[in-house]
Amino acid sequence: MSPAETERHHRFLRSFTAHEPAIRAHVRRLVPTRADADDVMQEISVVLWEKFDSFRDGADFKAWAFGVARFEVLAWLRDRGRDRLVLDEEVITKIADETTADEPRLERQREALEHCMKKVPSDQRELLMQAYQPESRIQEVAQGSGRTVAGFYQWLHRMRKLLLECIRRALTQEVAS
Amino acid sequence: MSTQLIEAYLDGSITAPEMQQLNALLLADADARREYAEILNVDSALAAMAAGWTKNEAPVIRQTKWRPASPRWIAAAASVALLLGGWWWQDSRRAFATVEKAAGVVEMADGSALRGESHEIKGGSVALVTARGARIVIEAPAAFHFESAQRLHMKRGRLAADVPPAAKGFTVITPTGDAVDLGTRFGVDVPSSGAAEVHVFQGEVIAKASGAPSNQSLRTGDAVSFDQGASTSRELRSSAFIQPDEMPGLTAGLAAGQRGQSDAALAKLKSDPALIALLDFESADELPGVYRRVQGRWPGSHAPEFVHVGDHLKLDVGGDHDWPKLTLAAWVRLDRLGAPYQSLLHTDGWDSSNPGQAHWMVTHHATMRLALRANTLAPGSGQQYEADSLTPVLPEQGRWVHLASVYDSQARTVRFYLNGRFDKEVRFQVAHPARLGPAQIGNWNRNDRKLSGRVDELLLLGRAMTDDEIRALHAAGNPYR
Repeated sequence: MSPAETERHHRFLRSFTAHEPAIRAHVRRLVPTRADADDVMQEISVVLWEKFDSFRDGADFKAWAFGVARFEVLAWLRDRGRDRLVLDEEVITKIADETTADEPRLERQREALEHCMKKVPSDQRELLMQAYQPESRIQEVAQGSGRTVAGFYQWLHRMRKLLLECIRRALTQEVAS
Repeated sequence: MSTQLIEAYLDGSITAPEMQQLNALLLADADARREYAEILNVDSALAAMAAGWTKNEAPVIRQTKWRPASPRWIAAAASVALLLGGWWWQDSRRAFATVEKAAGVVEMADGSALRGESHEIKGGSVALVTARGARIVIEAPAAFHFESAQRLHMKRGRLAADVPPAAKGFTVITPTGDAVDLGTRFGVDVPSSGAAEVHVFQGEVIAKASGAPSNQSLRTGDAVSFDQGASTSRELRSSAFIQPDEMPGLTAGLAAGQRGQSDAALAKLKSDPALIALLDFESADELPGVYRRVQGRWPGSHAPEFVHVGDHLKLDVGGDHDWPKLTLAAWVRLDRLGAPYQSLLHTDGWDSSNPGQAHWMVTHHATMRLALRANTLAPGSGQQYEADSLTPVLPEQGRWVHLASVYDSQARTVRFYLNGRFDKEVRFQVAHPARLGPAQIGNWNRNDRKLSGRVDELLLLGRAMTDDEIRALHAAGNPYR
């Protein structure tokens, strides 16, 4: 590899590594499931690297990546979302626009999760983490917790709601302090 | 209403009519979109957290699923995989890092697994190995947490990292800036107040001050501090960081009960009738000066650290009479020597009207020097100008070393010791009794002297210690084994 190429790799590496969680979260907002987001992320990482030449150094990598991500999500939906229940293109475009602008706040919300998780009793935290494992089967997790699948989903809704409330509170306090 | 639809969509239990309803709602209602974005955002954050989570009992190691998507993907995969160091293969259930050795750290145990939780250590040093093989030493007082095996948040504390190619891209995030490693050895210092610093011992690191428009590439020997959204170059502080290879010696020293030995030796010295001063820097009332109070040789102990030119500590002892015999000793941990002199003790009264005023320092040859005003060297002493030791005092830069000089105006000699071993004797033709009084450690007002590093257990004794006593002093206070 020539020194210039190595340098280019390094530049890409540090930008991508730094923004990967945000790009993933952005993609997650636009596709139905986390597994779908994983799929699209793989495609996006390749495209970002292929197009990295056109990225102007010093420009906002995250904003650029969000743009690429939106395009890839739409392509993915046309390709694979055909027989699935997905969001309309128009809705996706709106959400992508708005959440791109709102990303600093959303990022703070994601960061605040850690703080809020500490308030969740440890057995429930454990259960949440089990449910969110990359390859977990909700049926098994539900069974293990002694709940029906429907009951377990209800519990998950409640937990997400509680966490979101805590996160909103935490951010309000952050602004106030 | 909107929440129920969103949750059904998240579950995958949404029906086609409900999906239509959700789409219509999201299209029309900005509040619903906001609600939707926030719920999905929590979902993302939970998934990211779960990826780094390990079940407390009976951890199960599973292979991450490999999901090739297209021929183009496969074609490009190799280059990107190489480039990214394979970060996404990371086994999602593994710990981010493991404690290899906790030396004097009560909050952590050897072998424990670190994930996303926050850690605070009040004393000691801890050696960690990340899941990707980066070796890290964090010195207390410190507060930190891993975001992933490749991202470490340092709220406070000091860290040295040795990053192998597999962990390239390892990033340390501080409140004022980030350091991204590109396969190298580097250090990050986040003081409890003031700007964080990045020091590169070897290789390349990308430094990015929070809010700065661009990154900065740092190479071997470079250092910057993150100051209000910009990175400013500064001198390398090689010894500010405990390196991975220093840990075994420190751990063994603690295990061998060195701290108890040191305390006992200090107690004995404190009752020595010839004692002028013994600074162990443990007392609550701090000595006047400009310096940082950091960890000394022992977990949770204290030592002054001099970081900037002009940092100093003031001392006024032994000014009441002359000292025909004088022993000066200290444990020091010095940075790279660049400036002409590193000040161990410079008396303010250095003047031709004050023969015998003492100046104790490390020269640019890294040898020790004891200068006494108006003393002259004996012919054939082998020295040209001042009494200097023979062996450079930093055989191992960046570790604690014990320095001692024993002056005897009656015998007209000064004897130098390095780590308890006799190094050299220099003879004088004219030897005045030594004089002390107001003095500075780390600087001297009259001329810029400096000292970059830490000083611990500084001893001034109004008698000449013997070779055996110096050897015992070193042996008792040695933090290493």
